[in-house]
Parts: sequence; structure tokens; C-alpha cells
Amino acid sequence: MNPPVPPVLAELAGLLMKNAMPGVPEPERASDLSLSAMLLMVAGEVWDRQAHILVEENRAVRALLGETGEDADLRLSVLQAENDRLRAALIEAHAAAEAAGDQARQDAIWAELVAATERRKLSTAPV
Amino acid sequence: MSHPLEPRLAAYIAGKMPGASDVAVSALERISGGASRETYRFVLSWTEGAAARERRLILRRDPPASLIDTERRVEFEAYRAFAGTAVPVPEMLWLEEGEAALDHPFFVAEEIAGFQASPQMLLSGAYDAVLPKVAERKWTILGEIARADPAPLARWMEAPALDACWRRELDHWEALIDKDQAEPLPVTRAAIRWLRANPPPPAQKLSVVHGDFRTGNFLFDAAGDIQGVLDWEMSHLGDPLEDLGWSLQPVWSFGRAGRAGGLASPDEAVAIWEHASGLKADPAALHWWILFNCVKGQGIWVGSAAAFNRGGNRAPIMIYPAWWLINAQDRAMLQVMGRL
Repeated sequence: MNPPVPPVLAELAGLLMKNAMPGVPEPERASDLSLSAMLLMVAGEVWDRQAHILVEENRAVRALLGETGEDADLRLSVLQAENDRLRAALIEAHAAAEAAGDQARQDAIWAELVAATERRKLSTAPV
Repeated sequence: MSHPLEPRLAAYIAGKMPGASDVAVSALERISGGASRETYRFVLSWTEGAAARERRLILRRDPPASLIDTERRVEFEAYRAFAGTAVPVPEMLWLEEGEAALDHPFFVAEEIAGFQASPQMLLSGAYDAVLPKVAERKWTILGEIARADPAPLARWMEAPALDACWRRELDHWEALIDKDQAEPLPVTRAAIRWLRANPPPPAQKLSVVHGDFRTGNFLFDAAGDIQGVLDWEMSHLGDPLEDLGWSLQPVWSFGRAGRAGGLASPDEAVAIWEHASGLKADPAALHWWILFNCVKGQGIWVGSAAAFNRGGNRAPIMIYPAWWLINAQDRAMLQVMGRL
């Protein structure tokens, strides 16, 4: 998730405390609280699944890149850093496959990109 | 409790109205949303001659960091260019580009009061009977913008060559993504490579491009008429298909698959636009511009996340577009490229 969930939750905590105090204009309070509620719902949705998504995706991309290894540290920040490294390498591999006209490799990469996008879909997504 | 901006704004406006006395600002309140500008409504009262007068106005002020960084002069002049035309816009009153008066640049405009902008409200079911009318008005107005003479705005906006419109826009948004992305975006990068390898034909004319003409950026009434077109901060001169492509990009369907802007089929929207603009939407060129607008959207969403991540603007409105739309924008790109 971008921005990452922990700093967003910290920001929302501060915002809720601010809005618990008197003197906040009602339109601003309504806007802050309704947006905070929607963000908390998104955070709740990704809480349980995020580590699984990243491990699954890292495994799939490693296979495409011909790398071995597994994620040993399951903290989200570590999984995300490895995911960033792998997806950057996947972009390079995709561009190289296009330049080489390697259709089979392009199809394999596209299949993983579609799968990755589906894994990350939110229940409230407009598309 | 009065807002602390009220006396400062009243002092500024008093300086702009030498014939007025007792200038006062009241009921100033921030309007929700507004990720690129802080938007407030307020009531201006003053005495002119012996008569007491009052007017409802809007203040649009630059925030500390924005979802999109644009010149408020460009937005102000775009509104002014369409005043009194078939494109309904609020009257622009004063532009202040300095920071002394209210800490950040701002402008003051007429409030078009009593109408709605929310896409959720428009698409809630309550307006279903008038959605065809909204669609007719929406793409007719967009056609009017495309048809308009861009010359009056050439003083404020760069006028690219007809065969350079696509490259200028793609270069601009790719550079923003390079600067702002917090994580690799393989779908977006694949889309950019395809766009560069398959450029569109030159623009059929140079047009004013609103830049953000979508459901949610116009004011509608209960009869389905559109009373005001808002949010011109990304306006520029370019290919008229750019605006049409933005209006057709899938994230603006608001979950109504296959309904452009949640309102009409893409074919219906294009037909209305062609009739109003007198232009043709070549299908291959339009496809390019729809995919480009998916990339542009991604540039905006990662930009909002970057503004939060850098600490310049920690408001929740900067988080929500990124969380809600970065994946949805990837899905839209896959759809447009025929991959999903």
C-alpha cells in the first residue's frame, strides 16, 4: 500500500484526537471523519491479506526471473522492500522481452501482472 | 466561532473595492475534497452608496503541498476565457499570486450555489431519470470546449505543434511518475512503452483542454442540467481528444462497468461530443488518448501519495486517492490494453 499503512494510521489517530476537541468547524470535522472512516475500512481489508499477497507475488516473480529463495522475514516492510526489488527487475525483463520480440516471455509476464493486479483489488474498487 | 481567515480576507477584498465600505467576510467554511486547492465558501457583505449588499463567494487557496502542482493564474484565466459562453463557469473576481495576504496564492470567485457535484449522489439512483440529460449536457459542453478558439489563452498557455501534443503530455506525466512513485509500477511502465511505440496522429486542431473534465467536476441540478464546470487547474492547450479520453477512462465509471462517467455508453458519449465539437474521434487515436489518460491518472494518484509521504500535506484527502485508485488504475490500463 502506498502510502504505507502504519504512518497513515498514526496520522488518523492524531486527526481523530483533534476532532474530539471542541471548536473544529463542522464541515471540516465531517470531511475529516468520513474520509478517516473510509481509510480505516481499507486498512482493515488489507490487514489480513497483505503478507500473503506479497509472499505469493514475490514467489511468482522470482520464478519468472529465474531466481531462487524464499521470504524468511515476514514483516510487511521487509516483504515490501523485496517486492519492490523484484518488480523493478520485472519491468526490465518485460522491456527486454519486448525488444527481443519474445512473445512467450511477454505472455508469461503479462499473466503475472494480471494476477498481481487481481490479488490487490479492493472490494470497493471502481474498476 | 469565526474563522481566522475571515478578517484577513475582508481586508484584502476591501483593498479591491475602493467604492465600498464596511466590507466584511462571514460564514467562511472549508468545502470537503479539494486535494489540489483549499476551497472555502463565504459570504461577503459591504455597503455601497447607502445600500447594504451581500454576495456568496468562493476562495481557492494553494495548500502547502498539492495532489497536482499547477499555476493558479492558468486556472483563473481558463475560467475567464469561458465566461459568457455555452460553457457554464463561475465569474472570477480577484487573483492574488503573492503570499502576503493569505500565506499562499489564491483567487476569489462567484459561488454557483444550490447545486450538487458529488458523483456518488448523481449515481445513487435518485437521478436515474435524468442521467441521459446529464450525459447529453456533459459531452455537449466538452464538445464546446474542444470547438472553442484557443487563441485568447495562448498568452497564458504554451501552444504546442499539432504533432507534438501527445509527446508533451506523455513526457510531462512520465516525468512526474519518475519523481513521485514510491514503488515500481510494471503495468504503468508497460503502458508507457506501448504509448511511445504507437503514437497517435497529429491533433486535428489545437484546442483548450480542460484537463479534468469528469463526473464530479461539474455542478448538476435536479432536472439534469449542468450549471457549472469546475476544477480547471490542469487546463492547457492540446489535442481535443485528450479531454474526451479522460472522460472515457474507466476509473471514472464509478463502478458502473461500460458506462462512461457512469452515465452513458462510450459510443453514445463520443457521438454527442462529435456532434457538439464538429470534430471526429478517430477510434485508434481515441484509444491512445484513453490509455494515456490512465497513465496520467496514475501520475496523479502516486503524486498524492508522494505529497503525504514527503510530509508536505498529511490530509486524509491525499491518502484516499492513492489507496483507492492506484490498483484500480492498473486494472483500467489492463482493460484498455485488452489484458483484463
